[in-house]
Amino acid sequence: MRHVRFWLSCVLLTAILPAAARAQENPPPQPAPPEPAEVAQDQSQPPQTVDEKLEELDQKIRVLDRKIEIDKEAAAEKAKTAATSTIDKSGFTFKSADGAYQLKIRGYVQFDSRFFLDDDQKPAIDTFTLRRVRPIFEGTLAKIFDFRIMPDFGGGTTVLQDAYMEARFNPAFRVRAGKFKPPVGLERLQSGTDLLFVERALPTNLVPNRDLGVQISGDFAGGITSYQVGVFNGVVDGGSGDGDTNDEKDVAARLFFQPFVTGTGPLKNFGFGVAGSSGNQSGTATAPGLPAYRSPGQQTVFSYRADGTAPNTTIADGRHVRIVPQAYLYSGPFGLLAEYATSRQDVVRGAVSETLDHRSWQVAASWVIAGGEPTFRSVNPKTVFDLSAHTWGAFELKVRWNRLDLDDSTFPVFANPASAIRSEQALGAGLNWYLNRNVRLLFDYERAKFDGGAAIGDREDEKIFFSRFQIQY
Amino acid sequence: MRIRSLVPLLVLILAAPAVAQVKLLNVSYDPTRELYQDFNGAFAKYWKGKSGQAVTVQQSHGGSGKQARSVIDGLEADVVTLALAYDVDAIANSGLIPKNWQTRLPNNSSPYTSTILFLVRKGNPKKIKDWDDLVRPGVAVISPNPKTSGGARWNYLAAWGYALKKYGSEATAKEFVSRLYKNVPILDTGARGATVTFAERGIGDVLIAWENEALLAVREMGEKGELQVVAPSVSILAEPPVSVVDKVANKHKTAAVAKAYLEYLYTPEGQEIAAKHYYRPRNEAVAAKYAKQFPQVTLFTIDQVFGGWTKAQKTHFDDGGVFDQIYGAGR
Repeated sequence: MRHVRFWLSCVLLTAILPAAARAQENPPPQPAPPEPAEVAQDQSQPPQTVDEKLEELDQKIRVLDRKIEIDKEAAAEKAKTAATSTIDKSGFTFKSADGAYQLKIRGYVQFDSRFFLDDDQKPAIDTFTLRRVRPIFEGTLAKIFDFRIMPDFGGGTTVLQDAYMEARFNPAFRVRAGKFKPPVGLERLQSGTDLLFVERALPTNLVPNRDLGVQISGDFAGGITSYQVGVFNGVVDGGSGDGDTNDEKDVAARLFFQPFVTGTGPLKNFGFGVAGSSGNQSGTATAPGLPAYRSPGQQTVFSYRADGTAPNTTIADGRHVRIVPQAYLYSGPFGLLAEYATSRQDVVRGAVSETLDHRSWQVAASWVIAGGEPTFRSVNPKTVFDLSAHTWGAFELKVRWNRLDLDDSTFPVFANPASAIRSEQALGAGLNWYLNRNVRLLFDYERAKFDGGAAIGDREDEKIFFSRFQIQY
Repeated sequence: MRIRSLVPLLVLILAAPAVAQVKLLNVSYDPTRELYQDFNGAFAKYWKGKSGQAVTVQQSHGGSGKQARSVIDGLEADVVTLALAYDVDAIANSGLIPKNWQTRLPNNSSPYTSTILFLVRKGNPKKIKDWDDLVRPGVAVISPNPKTSGGARWNYLAAWGYALKKYGSEATAKEFVSRLYKNVPILDTGARGATVTFAERGIGDVLIAWENEALLAVREMGEKGELQVVAPSVSILAEPPVSVVDKVANKHKTAAVAKAYLEYLYTPEGQEIAAKHYYRPRNEAVAAKYAKQFPQVTLFTIDQVFGGWTKAQKTHFDDGGVFDQIYGAGR
């Protein structure tokens, strides 16, 4: 700074001294004196000596320095109140200085392949497909009001998957309203980006996908206990809804415990709980209000009788209750997820009514063999794939056993045993490669065996090879 | 749906455990840092003894107008202790404080007063004695920006009031103040910044300053004796106001402690602390005890000369007002 001040002094001297000399030759006119006269009296003299001139220059330089200092302080102060925008592995974020207002733009794309092996009797189409194409718009308003909008363009169609707002009054009390996942199925509550396998397991057939409703939720004791309770329009098993067809509403609730979540031990990521829903559903011959169930390869393997006439169509006709006990454990490189689902639905066909109780379960295990640790929210690789650095991301082996049993009373009145299966059991295994937090590859092989579902004997086994290239931000 | 079954759960959720410790945010103007550092400690001790509750008071300081704007824009102040009533009025106009806020505490909610003095360099080389000396060519005057600083507005109005009283017309007062601001080379955003400019950066011949700021600067630099106070013949009576920000305090559930915090300013203990920091106490006994440290100055009020803050603000400091005319024209 001293050097700067010296050179500034030289420059200013060069500029001012000739002017000062001219001023002595031709003194400038004094400004018009204000009234009264004593105010106008100029009691000071222009600098005469070199010391006085240097003093004047020194003051000018100090003023310049201070102005720069004030400008910097103003810029720093402005930065504190200026909105920020960031782009990183979590997406694009625009945020007000105090964080009260935020907009996040994220999204993901899943490009899948499905190849069916030995599909002689029930040929299925080997295909590439865009399973999910979902831009995500999330934000916060006035600190506590969040929103999320997520359309899906997967498969070439447009579906509004999520559209809700949530008020976070405190950790124990949040209110959410809109379209979102009712709190029932454990694997269904996992984000589509975090799935262990390409497709969810069979119990997901029996739980709601997305529905319109209002939910309160919260956590106690740092997450040791959490709850969700909501009122929803009500949808069929595995279904999503954008409206309702009757006045009845479903109540869905979930109570979940993570007793060691606040610690650091091997059971920190152990959780268990129970979820369920209850409501009345009623259909018509043209809109029966009943689901179809799928195989791991997303082939429809069970559906109720329906031809559009009341005598030959099975219709939802009363109470629909789901109960889903569930648990997971992620410890070290290992992960385990299990859930059991029952869906009990009153149905009628013509004059015959029945309460059908379908059941399903799954057990899925994973082992991260290198580069990370599993959690319910997927694997965060410790390194990223980088050939030059010889780092490869994370690799995970996985295996899954899952089963679906239809109520025996379903057949033959409510479903045709020649086309609808009585049960299915599937065993899957595979490898996941997490190149980084944003890119992953999944490779699955799954074989499903069926009871029934064919005119003679059983439906042909489904042997399917999946792959997925997923990119998310 | 069985709503009744949800009631116990809701009651459980809403009956959150009471907060054991209470926090207050006092949004204040620039030169009160030291005052409230001392006062907060004393109040915390007092409140702990009275209620058993531990209280922590956080402070925020800046130009008074800017601070008021921050509160209006969402800075969650439980109390404001600003430089002038107009800034509290602005907050009241936003709905955060009732319009009758000034009637809720004694002395128009102004627990201490101050005035405007001059701070000059050792030996007073420019022979500054009164306001007239500040408009002489060659005298560099340091004063902050009236647009952002409450103290600066007091400075401006003190000069205007002096000129009006001495020279008798609004036109000469305007000319006088215009010439004064031609002598101001830098406009800091707050009074503390102006003090830094003058005392630490060595800029200017005279600082127009809050009395407490001037006396504090002399005390701080007393060992070197580099600064000295000059009391003008006439100055303005500054009445810095205080108020609870009701909507915020109610939201934080701090209304009672916030009220007690401001009331404590009026107690002999609070007045003593104010006096030690060179604010003129309202309490007569405390004022008598500290009378010697305050120069004798003839004081006028803003109501007497300008018809109150609202009128003064509109005439002089609003966009396009007299200050914009004289400072814009002078640059």
